[in-house]
Amino acid sequence: MRFFSADTDRQKVAMLKRIPIFHELSRKELFEVNELLHERVYEKDEVVFEEGDPGHGIFIVVTGKLRVDPSHELFKTAVVDIGPGESVGELALFDEGPRSATVVAVERTVTVALFQAEFSSLLMKNKNIGVKVLTEIGRTLSRRARQALLHEKHIPSL
Amino acid sequence: MRTLPQPGAATLLVVISSTCLLLFLFQKMICLVLPMLLALMLYYSLRPVVKALVVWGMHREMATKAVCLLQLILAAGILVLALVDLAKTGTWQSSFDRYLAGGQNLLRKTTVSLEKAVPMFKKMSLGAQVDQHVQQFTDEFVEKNLLPMALQLFKWLPSLLLVPYITYFMLTDSARLKKYIIKSVPNAFFEKALLLFSHLDASLQSYFQGLLVLTILDAGCLALGLAVLGMANAVWLGLAAAVLAWIPYVGSVIGCFMVVLVAATDFPDQAWTAYACLLLFVGVRILDDFVFMPLTIGRKLQVHPLFSVLMLFLGVTVAGTTGLVFALPLFGVVAVIGETVSQVVADPRLRARYRTARQLAVSCERP
Repeated sequence: MRFFSADTDRQKVAMLKRIPIFHELSRKELFEVNELLHERVYEKDEVVFEEGDPGHGIFIVVTGKLRVDPSHELFKTAVVDIGPGESVGELALFDEGPRSATVVAVERTVTVALFQAEFSSLLMKNKNIGVKVLTEIGRTLSRRARQALLHEKHIPSL
Repeated sequence: MRTLPQPGAATLLVVISSTCLLLFLFQKMICLVLPMLLALMLYYSLRPVVKALVVWGMHREMATKAVCLLQLILAAGILVLALVDLAKTGTWQSSFDRYLAGGQNLLRKTTVSLEKAVPMFKKMSLGAQVDQHVQQFTDEFVEKNLLPMALQLFKWLPSLLLVPYITYFMLTDSARLKKYIIKSVPNAFFEKALLLFSHLDASLQSYFQGLLVLTILDAGCLALGLAVLGMANAVWLGLAAAVLAWIPYVGSVIGCFMVVLVAATDFPDQAWTAYACLLLFVGVRILDDFVFMPLTIGRKLQVHPLFSVLMLFLGVTVAGTTGLVFALPLFGVVAVIGETVSQVVADPRLRARYRTARQLAVSCERP
């Protein structure tokens, strides 16, 4: 019986390489990140997290689709559906503030979750990985913020 | 932010009962628990070293192997040095008898001095009574306790060979093991479970690292003090007393008793050396409580003093010496788990989310 199979690790690393947040990482770095990622499968209509919950980590969609359902008007326009390769709950990596929206699986969705405390320990251990991952997360956040601001000012998105 | 319900009296009862049950089980499988505990201590002490080596660019597996090898060499070195020193002092039986006689001699001298200073004690024939009681206690102790204790020790010793083995696999596979356990947690409780692991990890790390630093500081101070008093084997005595202090409250007394016996035997005509050793122990104890412990921080698992005492008594009742050693750290760990589980159980939103997820999973499985 193999509880901690190395073969499945290799498959997962190949899968991680296809996710934009981890795209810039080398194979060795991906193995390190893979040790910290937790795979979760959500059935259709299952809640991933609820608005107001304390946030402890980021979820990255591998297959399937998640729907973001915020109560605040401003966020409603920012992003609605999260597809493969995209992430949700990024702010929880920086603080443990409350979740700003409820996220539900639209279909059977496979995600990988990265916990804040583990991400912090990874940053301490390997700053190179931290820079690459944080740059990608920064890009995602700025894209969403720009999208929301453009909508607020009624300026069409480019 | 949504706040979670605080644990109540029922949780506390469950935590205390679970701790007692675990202590009982620990006593039954002490041969496994002892190496596990020592391995856990080494794991939390060596983990920062492995991390530092990885940051410097060494491959993790290589760093783990190097650190474990160094630890083995160090442990073997200490063991060889200790055995060489012990061999110089003669056989164990003769040493034990000699130290016991030294202790009795000191006690006799002290009672004679007391009888001289306080005539009432002479009228009560304090010296003769103390002598009789000590002789009786020594005979009974050797007959009833010493042999079973020695046999128990020899039963435990081979299991200590497991310590480096367990430590190595903890250093290499702990992250995978954690992932494996987390995988079995339902989605609704996933983030809570991760948070629980994180809290447990932080608590255990601060406890074990703090305990190790505290042991080094205690051993250093005691060894220095004993060397100044002119005691032979000051380093080993200091180290043994500091390790004995791992047993809450009682350990320090046993350590002090041991060093006073040695002082009384090595300096039979200078009773003041034994008294000075006693004062040294009191001094180090005060230093420990007011300076070292706040510096090392971790040793405390934020257990209320009342529960500390209660758990120690319950520990001794349920599991004897094993209970005394493990009661407090185990209570601290079980309390963190109990608190998190009670918050999850008492949270209707999390429970509802879990029920819905189960229903969804069942409906998805249906054709």
